[in-house]
Amino acid sequence: MGISPIQYRPWKGERTALNLRVYVILKSIFRHGLKSTGVKILLILAFLFVYAFQFVSVLLFGHETLDAGEMSSNFNAFGLALFAILLTAVITSDLISEDLSSKSFVLYFSRAIKTRDYLVGKAGGAILIMSLLCFLPPVLLAVVSILTQSGSDYWSSIKVLGSTVVAGVFVTVFFVPYGLMLSSLTKRRSYAAVGTFMSFFVLTIISGAFSEFDSAWRVISPAESLSYAVDWIFGQSLPSYINEGALFAFLASFIIVPALVLYWRVQRQAVGK
Amino acid sequence: MSAAVDDVGQQTPVREPAHEDGPPGIGSYLFSARDLTVSFGPVIALDGFSVDIPRGIVGLLGPNGAGKSTFIKASLGLVTPKKGAIFVGGLDSRTQSLQIRDGVGYMPEHDCLVPSMNAVELVSYFGLISGMMTRDSMQRSHEVLDFVGVGEERYRQIKSYSTGMKQKVKLAQAIVHDPPLLFLDEPTSGMDPQGREEMLELVRMIGSSDKTVLVSSHILQEVELVCDYIVIISNGKLVQEGETKTLVAGEEGVQSLTIRGDEGSLTRFVRMLGEACEIMEAKEEGGKQMTLLIRGCRDGSRIFGLARDSGVQIRRYQPERLDLEEVFLRSFRGGGKDGN
Ligand SMILES: Nc1ncnc2c1ncn2[C@@H]1O[C@H](COP(=O)(O)OP(=O)(O)OP(=O)(O)O)[C@@H](O)[C@H]1O
Ligand SMILES: [Mg+2]
Repeated sequence: MGISPIQYRPWKGERTALNLRVYVILKSIFRHGLKSTGVKILLILAFLFVYAFQFVSVLLFGHETLDAGEMSSNFNAFGLALFAILLTAVITSDLISEDLSSKSFVLYFSRAIKTRDYLVGKAGGAILIMSLLCFLPPVLLAVVSILTQSGSDYWSSIKVLGSTVVAGVFVTVFFVPYGLMLSSLTKRRSYAAVGTFMSFFVLTIISGAFSEFDSAWRVISPAESLSYAVDWIFGQSLPSYINEGALFAFLASFIIVPALVLYWRVQRQAVGK
Repeated sequence: MSAAVDDVGQQTPVREPAHEDGPPGIGSYLFSARDLTVSFGPVIALDGFSVDIPRGIVGLLGPNGAGKSTFIKASLGLVTPKKGAIFVGGLDSRTQSLQIRDGVGYMPEHDCLVPSMNAVELVSYFGLISGMMTRDSMQRSHEVLDFVGVGEERYRQIKSYSTGMKQKVKLAQAIVHDPPLLFLDEPTSGMDPQGREEMLELVRMIGSSDKTVLVSSHILQEVELVCDYIVIISNGKLVQEGETKTLVAGEEGVQSLTIRGDEGSLTRFVRMLGEACEIMEAKEEGGKQMTLLIRGCRDGSRIFGLARDSGVQIRRYQPERLDLEEVFLRSFRGGGKDGN
């Protein structure tokens, strides 16, 4: 009758602790991301456009120490932001939308996984990939710069390296909640990807149009506000037309509001249906 | 944390029985529900539902919209009950739903597979999320895919699978971590007759390994075939429960009698029989044959004597045996064997 003759075999193995299960999600996203040709191409292009020149100049031209002003401009936050939003759109767009459209949420949440674990796993995987673009190259640049410096004031250089690490972490994390939020609002990956990308440009265009009249509007461009924030982290003075309060309010809400919406969207799936 | 799994598997639940005249074996339950009420807005999906689920294969039977899936989801903590609680191996769903879930396998009724993954990826991924080690989960995925009968197709993306194959993969992901408690929500839905039979055979094999398997279905024949115990639910309420063989056994002392003869002798026999015992039901079958449901005729030889005297032939004389459909229909009429 074509009935499978294989008997059911019990399994008696060790199971990992509940709090380790988030790493499964994280690792799977990271590995899946690295296998994607699009992600690889984007990472290489971004490196070439954003950092290749800086590496060459650091290696070729002598420098006494790692200088905060120099590193802040070498960080190239504006250029980095353009690639970062593209990479975010590529890697986060399917992370939630695919589970929404396939209803595979129930497979997670019928297991010992909480909403928080699920989100930490998904966001963690995305952040790890983002760090290959936004954290690793600038930090590497700073390290190379310290290794090749001619002066002996290593202490001041190390402090700048510290700022580079902080700036790298900030830019790495910055777009991820936003991308995940858009992914949680639709069942179609393409909508999420295009939405992430387009809203970035719409904000940039609005910012450009209004700053014709008042330069304070520049803060609502994510790329501009990100580069002001990086300048600030490196201890550089901001232009007088930038209101620090408005800048930080914008940056904080760009992270917090999407994170809250995302949590609410996933929580509704975990309990309720 | 394998402790949680062992908890579910080994602890004896501490609780008081739901019904004083409950089924035999109280105290050995892995899984019970108390006064469970779940509503979606104005719709009351479960209405004070209490049940004890014994070990073995248990059928959760009820018409569409009865609340079967809601009961399963509430047990997993996927819907929040307004009232009541579920106890699995001594764990309380209100406070320990994570530990409960860790010892449970769930095969949802609807599509839930990630179409871009292949079966091996999917099953081993969810094995890992259930806490298996990488090597274990890969090995075990192949084992359970062999078991459910997914062959080389396991390396193809799930979006190319037929409904029957998807059902098998859904079952595979539910058993990959070998949970002591298994919820199968309409496992045969969308499958052809042969596929159904295979699926039921798989359920039977899983059930023979000391598990509690709750199978929801609205197909009576299937449930009757594989389940040791049956819980009938309707409108969110428990209407009937019991061992399959007891449910279909019919009422004690009720016999079914089939006789054959010409019209005159049949009438005479029925009249005489009516004086000797109670005739509950009489069905004519084409003029020459009748089937009677009788109660209170202890002595079979008396009936044979009457038959001889009135010139009818006894074709069949045996205790009443219902099929599940009959049980089902009777429980909805509010009657049934202990109703009336
Ligand atoms: N998410 C929901 N929102 C609103 N109503 C719901 C929801 N889920 C279930 N219901 C309602 O609750 C009742 C019980 O539904 P449930 O899915 O548990 O039935 P079922 O016995 O599984 O039926 P079926 O055999 O069709 O699967 C139905 O009236 C249904 O409409
Ligand atoms: Mg259902």
